[in-house]
Parts: sequence; C-alpha cells; structure tokens
Amino acid sequence: MFLTFTVLGLVLGAVYAIAASGLVLTYNTSGIFNFAHGAQAMIGAFTFYQLQVVWGVPTLLAVAIVLGILGPLMGYLLHRFIMGGLRDTAEVTKIVVTVAILLGFVSLSHWVWSPQDARMVRMFFGADSYVSIGGVVIRYHEIICLVAAAGIAIGLRLLFTKSRMGVVMRGAVDDPDLLRLNGHDPERVAAIAWAMGSTLAVLAGILITPVGGGALEANALTLLVIDAFAAALFGRLRSIPRTFVGAVVLGMASTYLVAYAPSNWTWVTNLRDALPMILLFVVLLVLPQDRLRGAAVRTRERYEVPTVRRAAIWGVVLVVATVAFRQLIDDSSVGTLILGLTFAIIALSLTLLTGYAGELNLAPISFGAIATLVAFHTGITGQGLDARMSLTGLVLGVLAAAITGALVALPALRLRGLYLALATLAFGGIVSSMVLRETQPRSWFGHEFALFPQGTIIVWPLKVGPLDLGDQDVFLYTTATIFAVLGVGVIALRNSGYGRRLAAMKDSPAAAVMLGQRLVRLKLSVFMISTAIAGLGGILMSMALSSVTSDHFVYTLSLSLVMLTVVGGIGYVSGALFGGLIAGAGFSLIVGTFNELGSAHPEHASTFSIISHLILVAVALVGVGVAHNPSGNMSSIFAGHRFLAGAPEVRYAAIGVTVVLYGLAYAGVIGTWTFGILVAVLWMALPALGLWLRAERLLPPEALAARRGVPLELVGVDVPYPDGFGGQLDRTLGLPARARRATPTIPAQAQAPSEEGESHVRV
Amino acid sequence: MTLTQPHDAVRPRRSEEPVLELVGVRAAYGAIEVLKGVDLSVPAGTVCALLGPNGGGKTTTMRVASGLMPTTAGEVRYSGRNVTGITAGEAARLGVCSIPEGRGVFANLTVRENLWVATGTGTSLAEIEEAAYTRFPKLGERRHQLAGSMSGGEQQMLALSRALGTDPAVLLLDELSMGLAPMIVSSMYDIVGALAAEGISILVAEQFARVVLPIADTAALMLGGRIVQVGDPAEIEDELSTTYLGG
Ligand SMILES: Nc1ncnc2c1ncn2[C@@H]1O[C@H](COP(=O)(O)OP(=O)(O)OP(=O)(O)O)[C@@H](O)[C@H]1O
Ligand SMILES: [Mg+2]
Repeated sequence: MFLTFTVLGLVLGAVYAIAASGLVLTYNTSGIFNFAHGAQAMIGAFTFYQLQVVWGVPTLLAVAIVLGILGPLMGYLLHRFIMGGLRDTAEVTKIVVTVAILLGFVSLSHWVWSPQDARMVRMFFGADSYVSIGGVVIRYHEIICLVAAAGIAIGLRLLFTKSRMGVVMRGAVDDPDLLRLNGHDPERVAAIAWAMGSTLAVLAGILITPVGGGALEANALTLLVIDAFAAALFGRLRSIPRTFVGAVVLGMASTYLVAYAPSNWTWVTNLRDALPMILLFVVLLVLPQDRLRGAAVRTRERYEVPTVRRAAIWGVVLVVATVAFRQLIDDSSVGTLILGLTFAIIALSLTLLTGYAGELNLAPISFGAIATLVAFHTGITGQGLDARMSLTGLVLGVLAAAITGALVALPALRLRGLYLALATLAFGGIVSSMVLRETQPRSWFGHEFALFPQGTIIVWPLKVGPLDLGDQDVFLYTTATIFAVLGVGVIALRNSGYGRRLAAMKDSPAAAVMLGQRLVRLKLSVFMISTAIAGLGGILMSMALSSVTSDHFVYTLSLSLVMLTVVGGIGYVSGALFGGLIAGAGFSLIVGTFNELGSAHPEHASTFSIISHLILVAVALVGVGVAHNPSGNMSSIFAGHRFLAGAPEVRYAAIGVTVVLYGLAYAGVIGTWTFGILVAVLWMALPALGLWLRAERLLPPEALAARRGVPLELVGVDVPYPDGFGGQLDRTLGLPARARRATPTIPAQAQAPSEEGESHVRV
Repeated sequence: MTLTQPHDAVRPRRSEEPVLELVGVRAAYGAIEVLKGVDLSVPAGTVCALLGPNGGGKTTTMRVASGLMPTTAGEVRYSGRNVTGITAGEAARLGVCSIPEGRGVFANLTVRENLWVATGTGTSLAEIEEAAYTRFPKLGERRHQLAGSMSGGEQQMLALSRALGTDPAVLLLDELSMGLAPMIVSSMYDIVGALAAEGISILVAEQFARVVLPIADTAALMLGGRIVQVGDPAEIEDELSTTYLGG
C-alpha cells in the first residue's frame, strides 16, 4: 500500500514540477509572475479534449498540435502583445495584467466549453495499460508523467547552465540593457522563454487531469498556479532543482494525507484541496528575508493626492449625485446600485493598501467572507422578517477581518510584495475550499454549529437605533455616505505623517528602513486597516445580497475587482469607485441587458449572447490597456480636467448641461440609460471640447502657434504677442527662469515628469 | 541597411573620418530634454575624455552613442556613416563596446557565464576567457563565483574583460572610477591605455578628470546637455576643477 501511494505522490509531484518549472522560467526571464499560468494549462487541456475526444483526432497528433503549436503560440502572442509592454511598471501592474489574462481565459473556456457539462479525459494508453513492479501497479500514463518531468528537469538544467541561450535568459531579467550592449536581443530571449513556459503549462494541463480523477474542470486547472507556486517557493522562485523537490513534497503530502488520515476526519478532502495553500504559508514562514533593494524604484505609475478639503467636497457631490440618480431609476435597480457601492467600499481597501502602500491583496472579498460569517454568527437578532443585524455583529465582523488580515499577512510581510499577493490568493483559496465548505454542524470549542449552514446564509440588514437598512433607499444612501466618509478618511490618512511613511515605504523600502521606519509594523498596520475596510464592505455586500452562497465569494470575483480598480486607477478613491461599480453592478447590468435584449428579439438572441461573452473574454485585453496606461483611467481623466483649469467657464457650462439633462430624464423625456451615457460622454470629452472652444486660453503660445501654422520665430511678427510668451521663449532657449506670473497653461502631461515625488522618498 | 556586416565595419577606411561622431544630437527622458545639441567626435585611434560635473549629460551621451537611447534630433555616425536609430545590439555587433555606468556585469551569473554572454558579438568563449584570465588572473581563480558577490574592483575587471576579449573598434567607458580605490582606478586606466595603444578608439566619461589625463588625447567639457569646450585635456581639466568643481 505504502509503495502504491508513494508512486501516486511521485506522479502528482512530477506534474506539479512541470507546471512549476514553466512558472519559474518565465518569472526569471521577464520578471513577471504569471498568474495566468494555470489558465494556460486549462486552455491546453480543454483544447486537447476537444481535439482528441470531440473531434476524434489521433492522440499523438492531438498532443503534437497542443504542444507544438498551441503552447508556443500562446506564449509568444502573450509576450508580443502584452507582457513585452510591461517593463518599468510596478509589480502590482504586472500582477494585475496576468490576472486579467487569467479571467479572460476562464471566461473563454466557460463560453466554449459550458461548465455545466461533465467531461472526462482518459489516461494516455488507457487506465488498463500498466506494468506491475513488486506488486505496485504503475500505469503507462504515470510513467509518461515521471519520464516527462525527469526529462524536463534535465533539459532545463542543461539549458540554463550549458547553453548560451539559457545563460542569456538568466541575465535578461537583471539588466536587459546590458544584454543589448552585449549584442543580444532581450525581447527575443523573453519571447522564447514565454513560448517555452506556456508549452510547459499546456503539458502539465494535459497530464494532470487523468491523474486527479479525469474530470476536466476549468477552475481547478486555473488554480494549478497556486500548486505550482507553492512548489516554486521551495526554490525561492529561482532554482529549478529545488522547485522539483518542492513539487514532489507537495505531491507526496497530499497523497499520504488522503491515504492515512482517519476516516472520521470528514474535512480531510477539503484539507487536501487546500493543502498547497497551507504549505505555501508554511514555506513563507521559513523563507529567509529578502534583501532590500537599495535604489528607489522608478516606475511609470503616477498618482496625485488631493487635499482633504477637495476630497470632502467630492464626497458630498457623490452623496448628492446618488440621491439624484436614485430618483431616475426604478426600485428593482436600486439593489444593483447598492451592490456596486458595496464593492466600491471593498475596492477602497485596495486604494489604501496598493495605491498608497504598494502592497497587494488579491482576495479582498474573502476577507469580506470572514467578516460576514462572524457578523452572521454574532449579530443577528430578532426573528422572521423582523430579524436584523446588530451593530455589535458589524463591529465584530470588521474586527475579525482585521485580525485575519494580520494572520495572513504576517508570514509574508518580511518578503517582497509578490509573496504577500500570493499569500492572499492562497488565503482566498483556503476560504473557498475549507471555510465555506463547512456546511455541516461540527463541534467548535465545545459548541455544535456549522460555519456556513447549508451553504446558504441569510444576512439581514443592519439596524442601529433609528437607522434601518431594511429600507432600500436608506440602505443606498447609507452605503454612499459610508463610501464617501471612508474615501475622505483614506485621503486624510494619506496626507498625514502616517501616509507619507507609507509612500516612502512604497518607493524605497531600503531608504525607509534607513530613516528608522519599522517596515513590518507599518505594513502590518496598513494591511489590517485595509482588511477591516474590506470586511465592512463585505458585510454590506452580503446584506445587499441578503441570501449569500459560497459563489458570492469566489476568487475570480476578487480578482475582477482588483483588476478593475487598477484599470480605474488604484491610487485614487475614484478609481475604487469605478472598479467597484463596474465589478458589482456593471457586469451584471451588461450581461443582464444583453440577456433581456436576447429574449426581446429572439431572432438575434445568439448575437447578443456572443456579444456579452465577448465582453467578458475581452477582459483579457484589459492588460494591453493597463500596460499603456498603468496609472489608470482616472489619472488620464484628471489630467485632462486639470488642463481645463485655465477656462473654468467650460466646466460651468458642462454642469449646466448635466443639470438640464437630469431635468429631461426626471421628466421622462429621455431614458435613464441615455442620460447616463450622455453625461459620461460629456465629461469624458470635456477636455477635447474645451480645447476646441477655448484654445487660446488653454494652450501655451508655441502650441497655439503650431496649431495656426506660425513658426515660433514669427510669433509677435505674424500673430499678436500672447502674454506669458517671454517666459516660454526663455524656456525654449534654455535661459534661466525669471520670476514670472504662474501660467496655468502647461498641459498636465508635460508636467508629469517633474512630479517625480512619487519616486522619491518624502518624509 | 547593411548594419549587420562583420563587426569591424566601424574600422575607419580613411583615417580622417572620426570613428564615432555625434552631430547636433538631442535626446530626452520623456518630456525633459537632457541633450540639447551635442557635437562630439572621436578621431580614429585616439582617446577622448568626456568631462563634466554631475548631471551634465555624460551618461546620456554614452547611451545615445551606444544605441541604447533614441535621439530626438541630430545624427549619430560611425566611421562617417549615418547610423541614427541603430539598436544597441546592432551597434555592439558592429564593434562598439560600451561599458555602462555602475557595474556592467550580471550579478546573478558567474564570472564565466558573464564572459559567455559577452560572446554575443561573435567572439568565442575560449578566446574571451583566455584574454580575461591572462590579464586578470584573479578572475580565472573565481570563474565559478557569482559576479554579484565579488568586490567592486573585481566586477569592474570583469566588465572591462568584455573590451579585452571582443576586439572592439570603439570603446565607450562610463565612469570607470566610480566607487573604486585610487590604486585600482589607475591600474584600470593602465589597461585602457594599453587598449588605446593597440589602436582602439576610446570615449571615456569621467567626472574627475585627473585619472584620465595621462591617456587622453583630447577632452570635451560637457555642461547642461551641451559640449561647451573641446581641446587639450590639461587645459580643460584646469577649467573644470577651478570653475565647476571648486578646486
Ligand atoms: N531615467 C531618467 N529619467 C529622467 N531623467 C533622467 C534619467 N536619467 C538621467 N536623467 C537626467 O538627465 C540629466 C543628465 O543625466 P546623466 O546621467 O546623463 O548625467 P551625467 O553627466 O552622467 O552625471 P553623473 O556625473 O552624475 O553620472 C540629469 O539631470 C538627470 O536628472
Ligand atoms: Mg553619469
């Protein structure tokens, strides 16, 4: 028996090793930790299934197609169009781009291969072809896994130490410029590495499904990245041999666990699913501390911090706008809006943590789940429809989220941001595969109860004194107010000494230490504040949903939220609002609208369904946009509007138009959708409109001259001498600046580089 | 384009053509213009010292000359041929060897692997190892040590080995002396002198001029993104130390 389990463990370890080595390969050549690695394995496995099982392509040919064409091509395209553009971006941006690809791939597979249908993949040569050695049955498929892993181990070792290409690959991540000076092309090297890494992912994908039972399942394969990561951690994401050791340890541990755990431990299967994640925490604990990088990191992200006064004004605007908008929508849509705002509160936790402190939490909603469970067990009072959540429950839930945050973060805090990001993702996995599966009563500290009874809980709305969130409108306004207050609070925090310490830590950890900061304490405190906010948002989200199942806390939801917040601009409170509204309300609105359109016009139903799927898959392409504009949408919008400062009348006019449109919508002349779209377009296009109408007040003289086709030398000769021109001329000629009237006319873009405050240490 | 010719294409066909020439070169980091019209030429077989205080644009000039950084205006010429827009990889294969500021080595590769990477311009590993270990026996002893774990001086030796082993036509050296003891600096420059004697044209950027004076044929003073003076190294050094570095 023991030997049989050992062999099974070895085989599982071999597949983990193949997956992990691909991860290590791409990480070490491009510096990008590929969260989509498991998703690539998943796409490979499903394509293989399609070819072999559905279309009946001969097995060998199918293998050749997925390994020879699909794998390398997928890797090459990813590098060519997305990853290659990520140089000089913050780690957060890199992570989020691969997360976007992960989400896009999952949507793609759900679209092509409906998750409702069961699919079985057989072993190579079938399960009956085996050899028997000393009573131990080893199937051919398992032999293939072992041989492939061994071959890859040896091959990669040879590549990295005995070939120049391999050595150059290892150099690529340190200093691409130095590689160029040595006559190499780092882009080509990285493209090759991505093609190889992707092929290894695909290979792992087609090997692992039959080993794990044969059922092809998109989510499980996608999360293979966590297993691979846990294995790669043994080699500190660098050493291939140690990664293999880690993979084997992982494979053995999970096999023995199932084999030898007492049968009355009903939670063992759940534990097995969560094992890689638990192991990950253990390895994080024993991993030695990273050396701090000395130099400040210069990245392309730029965020400005508004003053508290400004933020407070915007907070009031938000609440007023929410109240006004409520009058336009019907009662059934209010719930969606509330949900969007609760997501925005969860996203706010990311603004603080990621935008200000540079750390990442990939499972904010899982902290919301913990908070929800604690609030549910401690805070529900009353019976039947009068049942309500008490303030005590809310507070305890938020506290629980903060404490859980501390526990999750502690092992990873000594390490770089990437490790914390992965620890949080693993935590999300543990919540999903252990905590939320505790649907049956069990004895906890002497009390008999289920953590997540029947897999569905009813979270009643909060009631504090006269404030009763049982009323939809009250709930909506309260949520908007909470977001506004927390948003202002977060900005006030950023403007305080504490916030400046966070910024210093983000820009240059080494310098921050030198200046006497306690990094671990700082990181821990900000992580706890952040998870507390996420917990609050999570409880509100659960109240908005009312009936909550484990599907509401699934990891992809957290990932979407993180991604959309980065798209909006993770350094901004408004970015959080954007991300939350789209993640919480936008997607369901889009999909819902297309479904309705589909049922209203049955003849076009398939077109509408394709469009709504395409939108979800297109999420993968978000990465392309983020690579171009890593500071997020809000940053560009703000830049555009700051540029309008020279002509305030443009904005007053826009406010007027908005009010008129609102009046029209209120009177029912135009629909709510039309109103929303018109207002959005108006404000987005305002900088361009302003430029068109008010060019002479907004542009510096030489740009104006260029627009009119007058060469700089002839300004003052052919066209009148505009004011501020003297200073402009001085600058062009490189003369020392004179004290001149501040001209608010330089477009914000041109100012950006001088605002390198973000990359310097400010204390 | 014929940029991928054998690497001695840069070698001067007629000795009056400067091996490396920048004409009215402008370059910018984002919106900040750093080079504002640089004119500089390195005649064949000479050593030209590029001097100037911090932030003058020396490193940027080197990056432009080696193809790492694009120009916004002006021309870069190798041996009289306009190569503006050349990539660093192509330039390296044409025989332009550039040792960047800081340590021009891969910290996570061993000494030998660093030399291996340096064969990207067409030399064989055996040749370059031979050249490096003969000149710096210490590197030979440490060939399997990680470059990042060696002393600054040893790392600079390793970086310089690339110039020794690959037989370049032009050598661009940026602040070879940075962070090194005076003894080591002068021995480094002895080697640079020997390379110059072999006929390699050299452009060397230094903030402190004294160390390069013995080997420099001409010197150029760089200030605020422009070459403000070209001439005899000793004169320029005087000018530099009295006016800009305060003695
Ligand atoms: N990556 C960059 N982004 C923006 N500005 C830069 C960058 N690198 C250099 N600069 C600016 O360009 C100017 C010239 O820098 P450069 O490094 O070329 O000077 P240098 O003469 O080599 O100085 P040093 O003697 O200190 O090495 C400086 O003002 C510097 O701030
Ligand atoms: Mg320099």
